[in-house]
Amino acid sequence: MSDHSHEEASSGRTTSPYAARIRAIEALLLEKGVLNEPEVQDNISYMEARSPANGAKLVARAWVDPEFKELLLSDGKAAASQLGMDPEHPAEIIVVENTPEVHNLIVCTLCSCYPRAILGRPPDWYKSFAYRSRAVREPRAVMREFGFEPPEGVEVVVHDSTADARYMVLPMRPPDTKGMDEEQLAELVTRDSLVGVNVPRSPSRTSPR
Amino acid sequence: MGEAHDMGGSPGGPVDRGQHEVEDWERLADAINGALGAKGLQSTDELRRSIESLEEYRDLSYYERWVAATEKLLVEKGVLSSDEIDQRAAEIERRWDRL
Amino acid sequence: MTFEPGDRVRVLPSEKPGHVRTPAYLKGKVGWVESLIGEFPNPEELAYGLSGLPERPLYKVGFRQTDLWKDYRGPAEDFLYADIYEHWLESERGPK
Repeated sequence: MSDHSHEEASSGRTTSPYAARIRAIEALLLEKGVLNEPEVQDNISYMEARSPANGAKLVARAWVDPEFKELLLSDGKAAASQLGMDPEHPAEIIVVENTPEVHNLIVCTLCSCYPRAILGRPPDWYKSFAYRSRAVREPRAVMREFGFEPPEGVEVVVHDSTADARYMVLPMRPPDTKGMDEEQLAELVTRDSLVGVNVPRSPSRTSPR
Repeated sequence: MGEAHDMGGSPGGPVDRGQHEVEDWERLADAINGALGAKGLQSTDELRRSIESLEEYRDLSYYERWVAATEKLLVEKGVLSSDEIDQRAAEIERRWDRL
Repeated sequence: MTFEPGDRVRVLPSEKPGHVRTPAYLKGKVGWVESLIGEFPNPEELAYGLSGLPERPLYKVGFRQTDLWKDYRGPAEDFLYADIYEHWLESERGPK
């Protein structure tokens, strides 16, 4: 049986007391046959396979393929499945589009719901009390902390993921990206732009083909 | 605002943009809950309810809340007892101390 | 389902105990139904191991930020959406 606990052991007392508790829970559940090792390992692998790169792929595809974009905006899970991302878990994945008039920001004030099935674990800041408290009330101030200010006249729309849907932003394609292929476009899409605290990188430092 | 978790609109300081390295035990917390959920042994809603009921909600980190809530739920469902978790956790920590 | 997109609704100011997915900051607030997201088992019951059936309609409800916060520091055009279950909404008539 693989021992995952080297990290906690070597970090000794500086780690959380809950580390031993979840190891204890794991050991007991395995001993009692409530779970088996492959099930636990499968779930570890499941999360490791998910990352913001998936979101970037979806966005890049939507930028170059209008039909895919339509699918992404009407049925996020189907679009993710089409690119092989296997998002079984959430009830719905709703992708909201940034436009020249509207900038979207995602938050879950009640707990930190996030489209994990596509993007993997949310960043610490997304789960923080400060973000959860302030994003709904002062979204522009929060975005400013991330270095982003929407242009004059753009509405800010906040989505609080209070129920069974998980949200992701489809950012606008940056200017001066004509001729870039999907892979190059995906590199511009940051995780922060998928939540809406910022926008994608501009290609000014990358030389287009 | 009534409950600790229901914090939309509450005052807050600057958003800390630091990111800690996810530790193995935190990955395990995700995996155990994922596995329990996949087998229909607990639902996301039960886990949320358990997290929200934690008195220590504001004093625990995200994954500490998950572990505490998972334990509470498993004990509630009679799958495990607090005593056996205590005992096993203590053994594990003793083992780590010896390394 | 009871509501159509465009309907003006108020979020019930209920203090019901237990697990709810209607945030306190929206209770008693007036907004509009943007769309029906779908029908889902009631999380308030799922949270206690019940079936949550029959499924309940879940709506995307929009609110003007200036209606939510007295001190909102952005333009009046900014708004917020939350996903609210039908049983937390009541019809609101009155001037826009």
